[in-house]
Amino acid sequence: MQSVIRPNAWVALKLPSGSTKVLQITPNTTISLGKYGSFPANLIIGRPYHLTFELQDKLLDENFSRLRVVPTSELYAEVFADEAAAECATPATGANDAVISATDGEEFSLVDEKGNVVARSNREIIDDSARQTLTQEEIEELKREGNNAGKDVIAKLLLSHTALDQKTSFSLAKYKLLKTKKYIRRFQVLPIDVANLAQWQLEERDASKIMDMRAEMIGLVGCWGNVHYGGDDVLLEDPNATVAQGDEACVPVDEGLLRGRWLVVDDTCGLLVAAMAERMGVLYPNEDAETEGKTEGQDKDAAEQTSAIPEQTEETNVDQTEAGKTTQERDDTEMTDVQAAPTKPEAEKKPKQQKTRPSDFAIPYSQTNTITAIHGASQPNLSLLNYWGFDITSPNHPPHPLLNHLLTLTWLQLLKPELDLAYSTPPLTASPETLASWKPSRRGNFHRKRRRYARIRHIVDSTRAGNFSGLVCASTMDPISILRHTLPLLAGGAPVAIYSPSVEALAAAADCFSVPRRTAWVSGSVPEIEGLSTEELEHWPGNEQFPLNPTLLQGVSIQTSRARRWQVLPGRTHPLMTERGGADGYVLTAWRAKPAEGKIAAKGKFKRRKVESDAATPASA
Amino acid sequence: MATTARNEVSPFLDPGPRTKANSLAILQLSRDNLLPVYLQPPTGEHDGYAEGAVVNTRYGSFPHSTMLNVPWGSQIRASKVDTGSRGRKRKRESGDDACREATGAGEKDDGKDNEGSPAAAVNGESTPSVKQAVADTSGFIHILPPTPEVWTTSLPHRTQVVYTPDYSYILHRIRARPGSTLIEAGAGSGSFTHASVRAVYNGYPTEGQRKGKVYSFEFHEQRYHKMKQELSDHGLDGLVELTHRDVYNGGFLVDGKSPEADAVFLDLPAPWEALPHLSRRRPQTSLNTNDATAGDEQTGWVSPLNPKKSVYLCTFSPCIEQVTRTVSVMRRLGWVDIDMVEIANRKLHTSRERVGLNLNFDRGVNNSPHDVEEALTRLEGIEGRFREHAAKPKDGDEDMDSGDEGDVQPTAKQSAAAVEGNQGVSADQATSGTAPWMEGRLITRGEPEIKTHTSYLVFAVLPMEWSEEDEAAAAAKYPVGKEQKVIGAVDKAARKQEKREQLQKQQGNSRKARRKERDEKLGEASG
Repeated sequence: MQSVIRPNAWVALKLPSGSTKVLQITPNTTISLGKYGSFPANLIIGRPYHLTFELQDKLLDENFSRLRVVPTSELYAEVFADEAAAECATPATGANDAVISATDGEEFSLVDEKGNVVARSNREIIDDSARQTLTQEEIEELKREGNNAGKDVIAKLLLSHTALDQKTSFSLAKYKLLKTKKYIRRFQVLPIDVANLAQWQLEERDASKIMDMRAEMIGLVGCWGNVHYGGDDVLLEDPNATVAQGDEACVPVDEGLLRGRWLVVDDTCGLLVAAMAERMGVLYPNEDAETEGKTEGQDKDAAEQTSAIPEQTEETNVDQTEAGKTTQERDDTEMTDVQAAPTKPEAEKKPKQQKTRPSDFAIPYSQTNTITAIHGASQPNLSLLNYWGFDITSPNHPPHPLLNHLLTLTWLQLLKPELDLAYSTPPLTASPETLASWKPSRRGNFHRKRRRYARIRHIVDSTRAGNFSGLVCASTMDPISILRHTLPLLAGGAPVAIYSPSVEALAAAADCFSVPRRTAWVSGSVPEIEGLSTEELEHWPGNEQFPLNPTLLQGVSIQTSRARRWQVLPGRTHPLMTERGGADGYVLTAWRAKPAEGKIAAKGKFKRRKVESDAATPASA
Repeated sequence: MATTARNEVSPFLDPGPRTKANSLAILQLSRDNLLPVYLQPPTGEHDGYAEGAVVNTRYGSFPHSTMLNVPWGSQIRASKVDTGSRGRKRKRESGDDACREATGAGEKDDGKDNEGSPAAAVNGESTPSVKQAVADTSGFIHILPPTPEVWTTSLPHRTQVVYTPDYSYILHRIRARPGSTLIEAGAGSGSFTHASVRAVYNGYPTEGQRKGKVYSFEFHEQRYHKMKQELSDHGLDGLVELTHRDVYNGGFLVDGKSPEADAVFLDLPAPWEALPHLSRRRPQTSLNTNDATAGDEQTGWVSPLNPKKSVYLCTFSPCIEQVTRTVSVMRRLGWVDIDMVEIANRKLHTSRERVGLNLNFDRGVNNSPHDVEEALTRLEGIEGRFREHAAKPKDGDEDMDSGDEGDVQPTAKQSAAAVEGNQGVSADQATSGTAPWMEGRLITRGEPEIKTHTSYLVFAVLPMEWSEEDEAAAAAKYPVGKEQKVIGAVDKAARKQEKREQLQKQQGNSRKARRKERDEKLGEASG
């Protein structure tokens, strides 16, 4: 992950109110935080993440607020004062106070930056008619003066509260927190990674869009799916197919090369794919390369005062310099070699663009460390990947690791490829002479179609070849139907992790693998499966009694997890009073088994007193 | 224990398609009963077994030869192994305990193509002295590739284990990703080590290369040695650097060099003692300054953290007092975004809740009426019979018995029918209409015992150090004053301001008049 905030990076701004703003930090703009004020974006670009900034008062000769990094000693000043007070108070309370009070040693005080006590509470009874003497106009006036990042307003508000001295330490703390949230002009910049984006989507945007998937679930699904870096990239050799060559020139799928591949069904708008890509190391562009390239791009940007992102600038530059016909050909998705990250400075980059293009049938995808996403619509919905600079719909994509590692196909292409036009229509061919006589646009189309054919052919064939290292799934579709078609594609021992916001669908799926079902299946008492080969049993189409072949999964279990958050303050440590409710979220986990052929019985003493009750003994697992 | 070749990828990271000799495999005996085994090639008689090394379980005996070179996930049949007479003088054909139930299924043995059998045959050729395993009539297990999850379930306990619900969440929150460097203090049983290696793994490092790595520290010497052996057996040598050290005093540097960690996990009884070592600079008021370190200059102090990144930290403590103290020290050392959570994980079991008078007497079946109608029908029946009996002349006690029998008989018949159904689906359909595995209502329920508390997890972030010079450099690189538009929360005032500024730029002289005009227009529009 990036260490400093880069120009045009997506970031999350955390505001004192607890809300988060997700923004793309465009250089030379003003970022407005609503009531907390605004500041120039260039003041946070190039600075580290996680610092707390404070909007300062505008200087006389400037029309914008400068920022100040708030040191942590200031952030925690109150806690430190509390701790100091508690230390002083502890011995005293034991000696003096006969009456035990809940607030003993928990004096809350209002301190300024230097730790001087501005106001101190005592332990009087709360007065319900406590009132703020400042009128709204006066508060507004104070805010307009806007001194000291809102701290003055807060201090004045507290001081002019008539019943401040009657508040308990707890209510005073609450009151101060309330006012601080409202008036303090501070914010923090967080990087957009999967954890932060998921949190923001869940709590502030549309939770249903990501199927209410909490961080605990993302972690569980990733671990139980055993999703990890699947090995160094292996690229297929370019067949150097000429334009006159058709299907026969396509590179066949080499099953021996396919390793470290995960199958995913994602109805969370790409969050699950992003989480997997993060775990596999293909979500973020190469970091060191990024540092070099981006900063250079930024220098240029700053000089030229363009708001376009660096990659785009490069693209347009190249397009302008190149002849029109090349531009036409470039309209297809530009697949990049993994090594070809933008490491080279601009000067070296120019000649690289003129290098010989790979042939139409060259497969840009890595054979290892890939994610294969199966989707129900004709286009995959992976919109959240945009936050990491990956747009699946963009035809002319700047370099991104997901381009070579994310393969998408429809259920139709997987199950009935012969009905899919893109897969089953043989590629166009033309003699070089004919091709030369065509208009550039037609020629571009010709190449684009051929490239698309080769890619779809590769994706479908390699997916159907199976041997996936795992299945991860968060889908609104019935898990039983997903399992029916994906189980045959999994390698032996491959883990399965299925997320669902509610337990019912998962319970139904787990019930397909229940002990009685499995026992009946293996004991040979199901006439429908008599004489079926292993292959046929793996592709068991399912019937009413056995929706799935119950021997294909081992160790099926369902779990749920919830993180309970606590407040940790001196003397005031307790779990938070409220938390997000709604969907709990469940994960079904299992391993793909390779059942032994023929009848098989479990060992053990299953002899019941009623001998006839159980000829088929429960399976041991 | 087996010694894995150094240049081979750990079975945890890439197990390959089939089981290999001298490599770790996990035998799944039952759902949660997992057994780690290092598969050994058959090299003659082993420990008294003619078949070579054998795993004996309550589900049968499994010679390693039957488990070698089979696809992962394979179901392995038990073998007929002479467990009774080894070490003793050979008796006459000893009645093998495991085989005592061998009955009708015997003829299946020859025909069946156990996936283990060809492998056994192959191995048998190379070492003729090894007896070829003969499949048993019953009993089986599954063989799984090792993953941190199954390893965590099956591992030999040394200390408290960080289980999957915890470590999955921790690794997600501390951003352990391929290529990260992670410090783990308190290696303990090694469950977190295995999970974190998988998370940071992006290839084995070659000379001078920086790849994802885990720096692990263990204080306890015995545990350290066990762990060291384990890591090397699992082929994780280049990926985990285990150090035997007391990190409270010794800090986190390895050979005097900084690991440059991106993330830290502390599973220590007193994390606050270790925290000062995890600073950007020598902490001003070191909490445990001993004389040796106190003498060092600020310049001599090396931070174990990555200087170019925010560092994520998680501590794992079971008691709230530990948390309070840790958090307090974290605040003083400049950690931000301090967040404490505890994870509650529940496993759910699915089963069929079978309630009804017409069901058989299987275990788990509740033979009471499943609804009011059924209860009513039964009561009506009973009352009816009583009435019949009352009408009949009295015969003594016998009547009562027969009455009871009459009550019970229908259900007994039903259960017999259901049992028949168990044997064959066709018979079953004829009687009750549903197979026993489809009967009743599908329910989920929790485990009988749940882990309500493992530990408190405290998360924190230490931002990169940012000096005046850095700020000046950044300010020079990204100068302000050329702002063109407003992004973010654009309220009315900000929008106005933007327009005003634009106008100011565009129109030099007559700006006052223009601005006034614009303002009025905007005011009308918004009003």
